[in-house]
Amino acid sequence: MSAVKFVDHGYADPDPAISAGSGPFRHYELDSAFHDELFHDDGTPRARARRLGTALSRIPPEDLERLQEGVYRRFVHEGITFTVLGVEDVSEQIIPIDCVPRLITAEEWDHIERGLKQRLAALNLFLHDVYHDGKALRDGIVPVDLVLGCPQYRLEMREMKVPHDVYVAVCGTDIVRAGDTFAVLEDNLRVPSGVSYMLACRTAMKWAFPYLYRAYGVREVADYPERLYSTIASLSLAGETPRMAVLTPGRYNSAYYEHAFLAGEMGVDLVEGRDLVAHDATLYARTAAGLRRIDVLYRRIDDDFLDPVAFRDDSVLGAAGLFHAYRAGNLVLANAPGTGVADDKALYAYVPRIIRYFLDEEPILANVETHLCREPDGLAYTLDNLKELVVKEVGGSGGYGMLVGPHATKAERKTFAEHLRNDPANYISQPVLPLSRAGCFVDGRLEPRHVDLRPFVLQGSEKQHVVPGGLCRVALRKGSLVVNSSQGGGCKDLWILRE
Amino acid sequence: MMLARMAANFYWLGRYAERTENTARLLEYQLTRLVDADADEIALGWRVAYRALSQSPPQAPADVDEAEAFLIADAYTLTGGLVEDTTNPASMISCWGMARENAREIRPRLPLRVWVCLNQGFLWLQETEFADAWGEGPAALVSRAIDRLRLFAGVVDANMARDDAWRFLELGRYVERLQQQIVLLDVWDRIARPDGDGLTLSWADLLRVCGAFEPYRRDRSLTLQRSSVLGFLMRNPEVSRSLHYATDRIESTLQGIDPAGGRPPLAAPHRLALRISAALELDPGEADAAPDAAPDAEAGEPFGPLTRDSRTLHDLVQATYVDYPVTAGLPT
Repeated sequence: MSAVKFVDHGYADPDPAISAGSGPFRHYELDSAFHDELFHDDGTPRARARRLGTALSRIPPEDLERLQEGVYRRFVHEGITFTVLGVEDVSEQIIPIDCVPRLITAEEWDHIERGLKQRLAALNLFLHDVYHDGKALRDGIVPVDLVLGCPQYRLEMREMKVPHDVYVAVCGTDIVRAGDTFAVLEDNLRVPSGVSYMLACRTAMKWAFPYLYRAYGVREVADYPERLYSTIASLSLAGETPRMAVLTPGRYNSAYYEHAFLAGEMGVDLVEGRDLVAHDATLYARTAAGLRRIDVLYRRIDDDFLDPVAFRDDSVLGAAGLFHAYRAGNLVLANAPGTGVADDKALYAYVPRIIRYFLDEEPILANVETHLCREPDGLAYTLDNLKELVVKEVGGSGGYGMLVGPHATKAERKTFAEHLRNDPANYISQPVLPLSRAGCFVDGRLEPRHVDLRPFVLQGSEKQHVVPGGLCRVALRKGSLVVNSSQGGGCKDLWILRE
Repeated sequence: MMLARMAANFYWLGRYAERTENTARLLEYQLTRLVDADADEIALGWRVAYRALSQSPPQAPADVDEAEAFLIADAYTLTGGLVEDTTNPASMISCWGMARENAREIRPRLPLRVWVCLNQGFLWLQETEFADAWGEGPAALVSRAIDRLRLFAGVVDANMARDDAWRFLELGRYVERLQQQIVLLDVWDRIARPDGDGLTLSWADLLRVCGAFEPYRRDRSLTLQRSSVLGFLMRNPEVSRSLHYATDRIESTLQGIDPAGGRPPLAAPHRLALRISAALELDPGEADAAPDAAPDAEAGEPFGPLTRDSRTLHDLVQATYVDYPVTAGLPT
């Protein structure tokens, strides 16, 4: 691969002649049904995109190809991979990276940031209420059976004192842009992943577009590991420098790279269940010089597998007695067990009511219209409009267990309708969202593709912090609305502009 | 102090990296001889290399003995089995892969440049078409592999703090070297029979395989006798592939790992390392005590005690730092 010359193409002086459908953007087809983040409907560039458009028009396509290849090789060599467990083997794969950054203005981000902080504050209050007084349930804000019947509800957490009442310290919220507004698609309150790809994309983009990056004035995300460390450390009851570790299921987990990356960047141990020993209601790690106490665990495994004594007894990923140490107050877990009850897809529909109830405020970020199949009206509407809706399992993730009505065959819709009738409480439906599109470099062409966004929010003992960036997922297949990496999605860097 | 599991991963990273290079060095020696040695000498070289790497001889009819089996086998297949055969756990690709897998487990403690260097090397070997590389010259591929492995050693040296992670990596490297060198000296002495009659390999070649020919020539002129060569490769403190050098490094890394800083009571691996070192230093051993003639291959095991001690050393490292009973590790 020949070298790419990093030339300042005069990004400070945007080219006014750029337009969709001509020149280097001749393959860039606009569709008025979808908000395009680079161009207005008439093909002229949006104000924020002029510099980017200029850069993309002045860099020869072969150089863009080399940049894309360079970014890919960089990820391969640095091992920025995710693990795929096949039937017979284990393979490492790279999430495809698109080298065109996505842009969000300071004003847009301010709105998102305020909305995310509000949402997380309300959800933490809700979780505390669920596991203590249950006022919101008694007042009918959320149906009692929806909470108590949720598989993620943890009876073991009842009346449990959680340090600083912070149940969710790390949250990854999926946000989509439909038209000119941003809406929350999903809250990930258990073990949200993707932040390492955000950081890896940023490093790669700084390498690929150093002048453009500087010209734009992009908000920095590199301090995320320090923020994460200080956030989780602030929850500790063991002083200012608690002994912290990241708990991973191991290297066959698809997010193992992220676990190792975060542990390394925070300067803490990356432990597996086999490294841990609980003794006398205290958790220890096996070091080469004996057992060493652990005060705080940033756990990246699901509740079920944390402790075979407290939860699933066939788990070999956690440590027997870990939950006992937690209950005894000798260990802090981030996030707390039982947070999944608040990111259930059915409960999602009630989050605006939760915000109003606990904060006495109107939600800043809207929800996506959601029909609960557990309710007769919702089920009837869903069955009548299956062809136009997206149907999801309430506990599903990764793009699995869902039906995209317009893209499904008649037989698939029929099968799903049976599932709905048999177990309606397990499903919700939403309209097919007209996800916004951002410019991408695919197969040597600049074309629009649908994108979403997962910003990360940190909640410490006192402070909240929203990372000015996030994992931006992109549906690289033309016309596809599914952004999951397991379904042909990739990612790209997200630039939050200072001005 | 680092996690016991990670200490083991660093240790095995060091072992597998060293093992890969050891295989590559032996192969490089053998493959360069293909140009001018006759068929019998080449077959003997393969036999020595396979024995030194604890590899089974190639499959042959029941009535064919080991020496003849190597005469029948072709160099391409024998080399491929040690380079690219992923079903052979001792091949270079397997060992490099295991080094990489251990490195994956310790990514949080491994400097990025170290990982990238190791990973690039592995991916390079994995993506290399063995048949094409053979066409460029049999030794070219392993020579490039040696360069990459030494680059890796240099990147480790330049980028890692001298902490426990580095000590366990060094410990693994030198325990592996000690074991491999003992086997090599033993095999060369018993099978290559440099001072014997008939088909032999030379002492000079043993020194070359160990990268010790030039230091030996400077130190002892070109008097290539069994006791002198073996003594040099056992006790010279300056040659990096001497048993003394490896033991010395093992002893110093164990001293660093020891929480008491090497003060008594010493941990069991440390005590054994000192004993091996003393045995090398003070007891000339059977190699020197024996007359300057090659021993009968069946007659004895001049390197037997050292072989056993070097294996025990590994067992003690595992038992002391990794697999200790939980009750022994509880804080007092």
